Amino acid sequence: MSSGATSALESPEVSVKLFVVDSTGVRLEELIPVFHRWIKEDLLDDELQIDVANYEHVPKGPGVVLICDKAHYYFDVRAGRAGLRYRGRREARAAGAEAVTRAFRSALHAARLLEADPLLEGRYRFRTDEVEFGIYDRLLAPSDVGTLVAIRPELEEAVRGLYCTDDAAIELSSSPKEPFMVTVKSGASPSVEELLGRLSAAKG
Amino acid sequence: MAQKTWAEKLEGRIPEDLGREIEIFSTQMELRRREEVDERLFAETRLRRGVYGQRYDNGQRHDGVKNRTLPYDDRPTKGPETMWDAPGMVRIKIPYGKLTTEQMDVLAELAEDYSDSISHITTRQDIQLHFVQIDDTPDLMRRLAAVGITTREACGNSVRNVTACHLAGVCKTETFDVTPYAEALMRFLLGHPDVQDFGRKFKPALSGCAHEACGLVNMHDMGLVAKTRVVDGKEQRGFAYYVGGGLGAIPHPAQLLDDFVTEDEILPLTQAVSRVFARLGEKENRGRARIKFLVAKLGIEEFRRLVVEERAQLPHDPQWTAYLDDLSDYAEKPRRDAAAIDASEEASYSKAFLAWRKTNVRPQRQDGYAVATVKLPLGDITSDQMRSLADVAREFTDGHVRLTVEQNIVLRWVTEADLPRLHAALEAVDLAAAGAETIQDITSCPGTDTCKLGIASSRGLAAELTRHVGGLNGDNDEALKGLRIKASGCFNSCGQHHISDLGFYGISRKKGGRLVPHFQVVLGGKWIGNGGSFGLATLAIPSKNIPEVVRRVTGRYVAEREPDESFTDFIGRLGKVEVKSYLQDLTEVPAYETDPSYYSDWGDPREYSMDDYGEGECAGEIVPLVEFGLQASEREVFEAQLYFDSGDLAKAREMAYRAMLTAAKALVKTEFLDITDDPDHIVTEFRNRFHETKRFHDRFAGAKFASYLFQAHEVGGNGGRPEQARERVEEAQLFIEAAYACYEKMSTTGAPA
Repeated sequence: MSSGATSALESPEVSVKLFVVDSTGVRLEELIPVFHRWIKEDLLDDELQIDVANYEHVPKGPGVVLICDKAHYYFDVRAGRAGLRYRGRREARAAGAEAVTRAFRSALHAARLLEADPLLEGRYRFRTDEVEFGIYDRLLAPSDVGTLVAIRPELEEAVRGLYCTDDAAIELSSSPKEPFMVTVKSGASPSVEELLGRLSAAKG
Repeated sequence: MAQKTWAEKLEGRIPEDLGREIEIFSTQMELRRREEVDERLFAETRLRRGVYGQRYDNGQRHDGVKNRTLPYDDRPTKGPETMWDAPGMVRIKIPYGKLTTEQMDVLAELAEDYSDSISHITTRQDIQLHFVQIDDTPDLMRRLAAVGITTREACGNSVRNVTACHLAGVCKTETFDVTPYAEALMRFLLGHPDVQDFGRKFKPALSGCAHEACGLVNMHDMGLVAKTRVVDGKEQRGFAYYVGGGLGAIPHPAQLLDDFVTEDEILPLTQAVSRVFARLGEKENRGRARIKFLVAKLGIEEFRRLVVEERAQLPHDPQWTAYLDDLSDYAEKPRRDAAAIDASEEASYSKAFLAWRKTNVRPQRQDGYAVATVKLPLGDITSDQMRSLADVAREFTDGHVRLTVEQNIVLRWVTEADLPRLHAALEAVDLAAAGAETIQDITSCPGTDTCKLGIASSRGLAAELTRHVGGLNGDNDEALKGLRIKASGCFNSCGQHHISDLGFYGISRKKGGRLVPHFQVVLGGKWIGNGGSFGLATLAIPSKNIPEVVRRVTGRYVAEREPDESFTDFIGRLGKVEVKSYLQDLTEVPAYETDPSYYSDWGDPREYSMDDYGEGECAGEIVPLVEFGLQASEREVFEAQLYFDSGDLAKAREMAYRAMLTAAKALVKTEFLDITDDPDHIVTEFRNRFHETKRFHDRFAGAKFASYLFQAHEVGGNGGRPEQARERVEEAQLFIEAAYACYEKMSTTGAPA
């Protein structure tokens, strides 16, 4: 086994990626003014938003990145799949299942903003039946089955809380050289709004 | 069992010297967190470790409407007006651009773990990671060190990356392979005591020949061009030695210091050049502190005389020639036997392959092998691509790649027969774009995207021009294809705009009370001949009109050039007045109400502003060498205290003694550059120069503080009773305070410091 469960989910570098329903409508350049406006209007709770990095010229890359103090928000096209990625950077905000839940909440909150953004005219919708969860921390979470085994109980607990079901499948999706990634697949695809509602209810 | 830290995980894999340097940097960070080191001194310290500032790290950002304060946590700064928590840039030196596949894997990881999954190749064969937290830098450095890479002296007033032709060793036109000489120069200069007191940075470059571009010797602080001569019937290797070149606001072509320096003389001669630069170079006015200003001020004749004089006085160093015994070690071995491409298959190749082969592949000096260039958009490569490229290099090459000064990566030792398969492998990871080293391969520095000094968006412009050039007039015109376009975000020329056919650098102009991003247009620079000549600045054009400038100028070149007339010659023939008049209408900026798009930069929707412009760090901080020494002694006494607290009294005593030696050496060095690390030597020189002359004496305590060093030295550093450890640490602290007081007195009385 490569690491203890608690250790891996203590890393601040957790990530959640929500894929868009239809990537044909995605134009990375239009995300640039959107993220700049988020900064101006301070639309992300709990984030000190700093700047926007533009990598639209790089194929299958990080896309457009909203750089924040303690996390980054990517609209990336990694592996050719467009989506919104929350990526914690420093100072873990929680540990264990709560760390997973918080990362989901941040990603879902940003996704909801994109879905509702007037500039994007409702063309950006997110599916939730498949989500990528990752830990960008090779020290605490090497990309192997050992890490998955170690974090599975807490990951399942968080996913169960989110999807209200036990049937979500969790599988390792990264190669040993990549950051640790798993795909979470569920039979249902509740809306972003609905999932956020569940998280708020659970929190309340 | 989980690994707790990278230091533990990599134990035994980090070379001792690199490991020690990183520990020292960690300690310096800790001291700065406690505000026990001055911010200015810490800034230069981190710069010399490759840890740079980045735009908005002053905590100010203009959001298009107003300046906004970024409320970072209240912690000590990491430099003047530089917030600790603000993300920054790390520059990683890659000597002559050579990377192993293992190093590529690690770089891919670091970009993912600490940056934004992008490695940016610079115009000096470095790799930059952006948006890095300073707290992550020690681990980042450890992981690099474990694969033999250091960030030491990547920034600040130091010797920067040693660059060289990316074709060295395989080039058809080179005189000989400069790789081992570049390696020797890098090893010799890294951390050398004689290069620690420069007023500004110092960039070396090597080139295998005079006529191609690759080494860009003409624009470097020092440069070597490979040459041979025959002496007594035997071929002798050497170099034409150049100094004082540089771009910046006013470019200076390098001056020939010596037409032929034998290979065994290049290191001592460089040491002598360094000493002259350190001694006589400007220290106060950073705008005139590069060696080019010293050479211009003295004249090359006088500069040469001083260097020759200095060379004659240098104490012999076996390192000067030791590497010459190992030159053959640098010969590269291909993975496969040479094999030509199958001509009978030619008709079956795809258009994409043929286009790529035409622009991105060139035959090697060695028959049957080729160099393939991976063209990177704006010098950027994702971590996924970097890993894939490492796999490709494992399969097709000798296991190395080289970075180029045009922000690309080359694969060498590919058999010609493998080219179709290589192309397919690159295509699978989106790295098979054709047009390398053509007008479509636009170079750009980071500009306003991340650089604190950026005035206009050079990357935004480069991206925009890349979209345009594909459809330019005469796309199929061969002369047009060979042109170079280069953009810098400001006059500091990191994008090397002076030596391109069409160069641009960012400036700003006001229209109706609003700022408008502009670029100064520089035409007719010469890329070949090692950056052979500099272009003419013609006029300032709004950013949004630059694509039209490119369209017009290239169109006219296609239509009006004489047979075989180069672009440089064409621009020279047209003359500045004609070029200016031809482009004059493009200088017009419409009123904001008519077209507000002119008031934003490329790729940035915010209304343009310079209100959040920060203080640049390119120049580093001017910190006298003695201050570095005294700071090092403070760090050592801090470590002594830590040893004491942990109960390791012997180490505490020894470290406290070492701290006193370091402080004493720092003072001695102000008068005697050749002081060694030998404790006897330091104590003797200190005694003669500072104790006997009573310069170290305290007004009230007399010789008391000096006696602490002498007593510790007498008992051999870590000698003495265990209970004396605390005493020794306190004595060391007092000795260092006295050293600071002595330095202060020297500064105010004008004595050398």
